[in-house]
Amino acid sequence: MQFRSFLPILAFAAGFALLSLAVTNSYYQLMLTLVLVWACFGLSWNVLSGYTGLVSFGHAAFFGLGAYATALGQNHFDLSPWLMIPASALIGGAAGLAIGYPTFRLRGHYFALAMLAYPLALLYVFEWLGYQELTLPIKRENPAAYMQFSDHRIYTLLALGLLVAVMVLSLAIERSRFGRALLAIKQNEAAAEAAGIDTLAWKLRSIAVSGAIAGMVGGFYAVVLLVVTPPSVFGMLVSAQALTVTMFGGIGSVWGPVIGSAILIPVAEVLHAELGARVPGIQGVIFGLAIIGVILLAPEGIYWKLRDRWRRRAGAAATTGAAVPTEPAALPPRTPPGSDAPVVLRVRNLSKSFGGLKAVRDVSFDVPQGAILGIIGPNGAGKTTLFNLLNGFLPPSAGEVQFEGRDTTGLKPHALCRLGVGRTFQVMRPFLRMSIAENVVVGAYVRARTDAEARRLAADAIERVGLSAIADRPASALTTKELRLMELARALAGQPKLLLLDETLAGLGHGEADEVVAVIRRLAGEAITIVIIEHTMQAMVRLVDHFVVLDHGAVLVDGEPAAVTRDPRVIEAYLGKKWMANAPA
Amino acid sequence: MRRIATKTAYLGTLAVALGLGLAGPAAAQNPAEVKVGLLVPLSGLYARPGAVMRMGADMAIEHINAQGGIKALGGAKLKLVLLDSGDTTEKAKNAAQRMVAQETDMVAASGAYLSSFTLAVTEVTERAQLPVLTLSYSDLITDRGFKYVFQTSATAASQAEQCLPEVMKVAENATGKKPKTVAIITDNTGASVASVKPMRERLLKEHGLQLVVDETFTPPLSDATPLVQKVRATRPDLLFFLPTVISDGKLILEKMNEFGLGQARVPTISFGIAIAEPDMLKTMAPELLQGVMSCVGSWGSKGHEPLMAELKAKYAEPWMTQNAISTYADMWVIAAALEKSGKADREAVTQALRTLDLGPSKYYPGGLIKFDEKGRRVNAGLTIVQWQDGVPKTVFPLDLALAQPIWSKK
Repeated sequence: MQFRSFLPILAFAAGFALLSLAVTNSYYQLMLTLVLVWACFGLSWNVLSGYTGLVSFGHAAFFGLGAYATALGQNHFDLSPWLMIPASALIGGAAGLAIGYPTFRLRGHYFALAMLAYPLALLYVFEWLGYQELTLPIKRENPAAYMQFSDHRIYTLLALGLLVAVMVLSLAIERSRFGRALLAIKQNEAAAEAAGIDTLAWKLRSIAVSGAIAGMVGGFYAVVLLVVTPPSVFGMLVSAQALTVTMFGGIGSVWGPVIGSAILIPVAEVLHAELGARVPGIQGVIFGLAIIGVILLAPEGIYWKLRDRWRRRAGAAATTGAAVPTEPAALPPRTPPGSDAPVVLRVRNLSKSFGGLKAVRDVSFDVPQGAILGIIGPNGAGKTTLFNLLNGFLPPSAGEVQFEGRDTTGLKPHALCRLGVGRTFQVMRPFLRMSIAENVVVGAYVRARTDAEARRLAADAIERVGLSAIADRPASALTTKELRLMELARALAGQPKLLLLDETLAGLGHGEADEVVAVIRRLAGEAITIVIIEHTMQAMVRLVDHFVVLDHGAVLVDGEPAAVTRDPRVIEAYLGKKWMANAPA
Repeated sequence: MRRIATKTAYLGTLAVALGLGLAGPAAAQNPAEVKVGLLVPLSGLYARPGAVMRMGADMAIEHINAQGGIKALGGAKLKLVLLDSGDTTEKAKNAAQRMVAQETDMVAASGAYLSSFTLAVTEVTERAQLPVLTLSYSDLITDRGFKYVFQTSATAASQAEQCLPEVMKVAENATGKKPKTVAIITDNTGASVASVKPMRERLLKEHGLQLVVDETFTPPLSDATPLVQKVRATRPDLLFFLPTVISDGKLILEKMNEFGLGQARVPTISFGIAIAEPDMLKTMAPELLQGVMSCVGSWGSKGHEPLMAELKAKYAEPWMTQNAISTYADMWVIAAALEKSGKADREAVTQALRTLDLGPSKYYPGGLIKFDEKGRRVNAGLTIVQWQDGVPKTVFPLDLALAQPIWSKK
């Protein structure tokens, strides 16, 4: 990561510091401090929920533990916040692990709701412990040693230091393997697992970092507020504050929480100060309406709205010149592997039943190195189940799968991926705002040890599918064909020896399908073995060396394309008996 | 782009900051008006008690100004500056910071209802050397070695000490006998537990009382029958009853009436003003509450009748709770300190408050208008009120009582 990417943060910090030094009114200075505190807390939430998509309604748990640790440390052991704030970060991180480990078993809304319970439970625990009200005792002698300053600007500068550190950390996470893994989880946890990412380990790292930041901010908040009560640090409103500033400013971005906090905190306070004593309660109504308005206009937050608008304006000028490169329609000549080629994938008597339903029955076939095998069959033939048996998402009921002579039956997807089995998904869920290169690099980490190596593998994979010219284009500007190729590149970035393709040709026009077919053929020429499932035959006939036709879970026909398309059993399975008359005798 | 967005936001903040900062008025040498602050919850969950505190303050300011203002300052009028503490500790602290930053000529303030708000607010006012009077109970408020905070109510610990012997006196006056047995039904919230703890540990023994039922429940209560049955089986001379959630209190009182223990047949005593607020009648029939007593920091009592009538006429408040009478009294104490110091200056007013000695208190129960070195009102007493015919009436101390206590003679 280059120094350049931190420049905006430093520029922002310098500007904020100048503003803070210019403000002498202690009340406005307090607002400046609180803007930074809540921005930090928003960033903490963002590290977990913004990057992984696992929404936490309970970040107050970490925040409150930090606040109480700092307050209790000073009250009972006379420990300075200078010491207790870093300790609060450790406590927050440990709490993150302790909470994350059981709670990550849940997904989606269940995770969000379970997280809600932790601060609520802690609130009652601290009330029960008799800590309804704690103050940080005033230190009339040597106040600076206890982080007590009469000049409020020092608090703002300290908070600014914290924020810059958290922003730099966030940015470093975002741009590293860590951030890629979290984004891959957000996109599709199953696909992330298939790309060789140990999802639980990364999620735990994420919640530990997030909890540590929240604990640290909570400790600092106690120093600023000087009074700690369970509702003020464990309350629902505290957790909500993290969500509000982040969602308002922009989720999944370093700047989102900062923007959200810089707007919402002063606006709420100005409304409260100006209207609270005159028309009590109206401030809440105006504030709520303003938030609703902004969310309607910029559903993903202000940062993304502004960025998209700017990109579009900049992009309109840039893209006019660059034409989308097209592959030559002529297919490269191809020689299927000879009978002496080693067998890469051997499937023997593979079966899978769901209760009484036998979805896959006694399927056996061999795939030699460099071959392109097509698995086809009408809807409901068991193609997808067979595919999931091959890629490790389902364990078979009986039978065996061997990859390069090794029994891989029942291996987990990320373990298979490490051995060299790559896969694509039928339903593509790319990061629309990220470029092709950024999307593809996710797949490279299973082979790459460093970020630079991952970028190199990704660039190589993009080259092989022919997207190099548009590697910097955001995924949102791609056609379906380009998205399919990108998906292919992501699987290639992990340098697989066997590639499992899930309906890669679905939804493509005639010419487009040919271009993708050409790319896949070229890959096979580079000694990558390919297994593709499809339910349409058209483009497949020109792609594969060999077909396995499934019907009712069993192998119906196993043969060369030319023979298979003329086979009466295949025609019957696809079209019904009345078309049998058209079958060549 | 990202930088432009944030920069705009800060320019906005700066503009607001400068605009409001310049608007701050400069202090005059010989003021026609002296600013006094009232920092209480005017919005959110605690807006209702905050509104009542404001009524008390408004009435006091009106009375003081009608009587010629501050004579030592050439008849200067008092002007109330309202600040909303909102419903969180953070908002209360923000409001306090705003008060000291923008109202630089304010001489004293009163606030901030909840103890936790008062704690946060006084952290700010102490550093700004602005004197603050408070009706909050927490001992911590005046245990921090602060010089600019003055607590007019008896502290929570002191109330716990005082309440039991006072109740015993009421009982003896009414029945001629000393109570012997006690039941406690409390929920497990912090305030209730803190009130009950000294009784369990020490006070009951010291007063020769035997604890026959000791029940702690977690709100919300689904069925009060087992609790009330124990009370019926033992028939204690006193029942200390500390619910926090109104619905729990209602369940227990309903069950007690059903079992024939209500209407003070088992004398029932609570703590704090929540159970004597007018809002109680919105969820409970007056008959259910009949006879229920509570120990409170102060209350509209004998000698306050004109005030109570005025409050009722002006604001339609059915009776005068601690929030109204204490805040009313705070303004008079501030006025007295101004008269004594003869200067509209924070430091001078603080000095005057520290050395004030006006003899017996007129509006707060018991004790003197005099503060000890911690800032606690000397010998601050408490008031016992009892629900009688839909109104909580002061029944103790005797010199303040507006009604005779209803007390069962078994």
